[in-house]
Amino acid sequence: MSLRHIWAVTLKELRYIQRDRATLILVIFTPTLLLFMMAYAVTADIKHVPLGVLDLDRSMTSRKFLQQITLGESIDLYGQVNTLDDLEELLLKEAIHIAVVIPPEFERQLLALRGMPLQVIVDGTEPQTGGYALDQILRRAETFATDLLSSQLVAMGVDPDVLEPIDLHVRTWYNPNRKPKVDVIPGLLSMVLGLPGMTVALTLAREHEHGTLEQLLATPIKRAELLLGKMGPYVLSGVANVLVTSLVAMLWFKVPFNGNFLLFLVLSVIFFFALLSMNMLVGVFIKTQAGAMALSFLVVFLPGLFLTGIFFPLVSMPPIVRMEAMFLPGSHYAIITRGSFITGVGLDILWPYAVAMLVFGFLFTGVAAMFFRKKLA
Amino acid sequence: MIARIWSLIVKEFIHLRRDWWLPVFMVLGGASELLIVGWATSRPMTNLPLMVFDQDQSSISREVVTALENTTTFSLKEWALDFEDIEEAMDRGSINAALIIPPDFSKEMSSTNGDPALMVILNGAESVAATEALRAVEGVGRELSEQLAIQRLSFLQGSLEAFNPSVRVWFNEALSEALYTTPAELALMLEFTVLIFAALSFARERELGTLEQLLVMPFSTMEIILGKAIPALAIAFTDFVIMLGMIHFAFGVPIRGSLVLVLVLVIGYLCVELGKGLVISVSSKTQHQAFLLVLLIGMTDFMFTGYAAPVESMPQVLQWFANFIPAYHWLRILRGILLKGVGLEVLWPHVLALVILGVVIGYFSLRFVRRALS
Repeated sequence: MSLRHIWAVTLKELRYIQRDRATLILVIFTPTLLLFMMAYAVTADIKHVPLGVLDLDRSMTSRKFLQQITLGESIDLYGQVNTLDDLEELLLKEAIHIAVVIPPEFERQLLALRGMPLQVIVDGTEPQTGGYALDQILRRAETFATDLLSSQLVAMGVDPDVLEPIDLHVRTWYNPNRKPKVDVIPGLLSMVLGLPGMTVALTLAREHEHGTLEQLLATPIKRAELLLGKMGPYVLSGVANVLVTSLVAMLWFKVPFNGNFLLFLVLSVIFFFALLSMNMLVGVFIKTQAGAMALSFLVVFLPGLFLTGIFFPLVSMPPIVRMEAMFLPGSHYAIITRGSFITGVGLDILWPYAVAMLVFGFLFTGVAAMFFRKKLA
Repeated sequence: MIARIWSLIVKEFIHLRRDWWLPVFMVLGGASELLIVGWATSRPMTNLPLMVFDQDQSSISREVVTALENTTTFSLKEWALDFEDIEEAMDRGSINAALIIPPDFSKEMSSTNGDPALMVILNGAESVAATEALRAVEGVGRELSEQLAIQRLSFLQGSLEAFNPSVRVWFNEALSEALYTTPAELALMLEFTVLIFAALSFARERELGTLEQLLVMPFSTMEIILGKAIPALAIAFTDFVIMLGMIHFAFGVPIRGSLVLVLVLVIGYLCVELGKGLVISVSSKTQHQAFLLVLLIGMTDFMFTGYAAPVESMPQVLQWFANFIPAYHWLRILRGILLKGVGLEVLWPHVLALVILGVVIGYFSLRFVRRALS
């Protein structure tokens, strides 16, 4: 194994990438561009959900109630209708996502403390929006009822606190308002940084298609050196991308970085090594660039997008899938980016993930080199 | 002319025959991947690891823990012996929530004027899970409070429940995430399949220098485009039918509207995406570059399927931008027909938008291909 040989291959690959300006720009800017777009799209807070109202009571209390549930930015009154059919039409047209039906006995029942007859209709096609709006309305309806009850209790000379006897203190660490951007942006970072490296799977197939592989093998460069050298440009551009995307996350999106940046950079290099090795392993079996592209898309890219815990927590996934996720460098790296940005933990906690990625890197490259040799013989 | 287009199609399939496994793999592999991803991620958030620091150690405090476990949102991971245990587990990221029950909890609960308190710490490093955990914790807190209030004020008996509104969910009765997310995942797979096949078509010929051979043959630009597009369209359409069957039978996504309408409109949508793929293809010098462009464009489009966040809550600029994304309109159409059973009378604005985008993209791909060929 000679570093000089690896570097020679890296230089050759660099020259290939740089020959075409557009490819160079894409390799360098894809992660930053995607981070920008996705960060805005993914971390949007749900706000201004349109509400339809069918008020059959038309009383003081029902008006007060409507005022209470449309207070603030979460729910906006879209309009009042006169029949249930009108509500249905608005829901079908997606003009509203949620509706309340206030029956004629609303005020009478409430003031008599017999209950709160109220119907909420939710559009289930968008569970996130619908669930959020439903949550808001139920919470406000409860406050409305509790206020009414406690004023009644005060009139009876009872301390209204008895309605909620248990004090629940909830505190959220690291991210007190549970703002998605604080953890989703570091998560996205781990995903977008891996994208340019996906193309490394194509580089061996390219030599096959162009018929230049034999020339390469006639040189004294060993096979493992060839594979490592081909990864070189993507490690280099990856490091540059880590710097740029982290700066964007910190300065533009104001996500605090609490860890050790140098450590983060080193761990990122290990991640690139593991991910590139995985792509290389995919590429070794395929003779055409088209095939390599399809295979690395299905085997590396898709699982890396969905099964690394960026959008959906790993703990809630079925055990078999969780095991698959352990073999994806991205799931370890997602923990590292979050740890470095949010909790600011060091190597004492992150070392198992670094070791796992290193093992994958050597394992995948080793197996790739082995099959590469067999295939050529 | 049809005979000539046919010969081009045959040529494309001969290309593919060498790699006959490629479309098969892409279609079957993509569909099974959809099955795994849908199965793994479109479920309620459960099993969030919880740590409990029970300083009270009474039957009442254990009831609280059981109530939290019964939500299925949490699974009890371990008992903490002191506060440091919680701090360490939080730093490690091994728990999403911690419950602290103070020593006097059962005493305060049993005395008539007692003031019991519970403390919950959530791990904000995973905000989505933390929000879900908060919802579950507050629900349990409310329930326990209500029970105690009824116990203490005997005259409230039973009447508190009457204050809960009745809730009806339309189109997706269980508020199941699967009905919303699996169509988006399907759209992602479908778009990437089309883009990869279309993007490679010209990039490969150019890179390998066979584009010139195509030029000297007596084909018009339109014929060359159709020859390239039809095989890709056939593959993608098969892909869609298989995946639609999959989300219908495996995830219970209903087909409430007209199946024929979906199948007709998907062809239209695929043509628009094919146009995009051809533009990528002719403007890329190498397959390497085409692949990078496919990844960038495909991921951008994926955001507008509403997978991670609904388009309506995005910043105004992005909402405006969404109108130029074919996948956004396609998802509106797909969800509308499948989940709501609506037809063209409601969906026509999105169909119209797709047609306009199709004409614009089609015009450009024709011009690009012409320029590339001359």
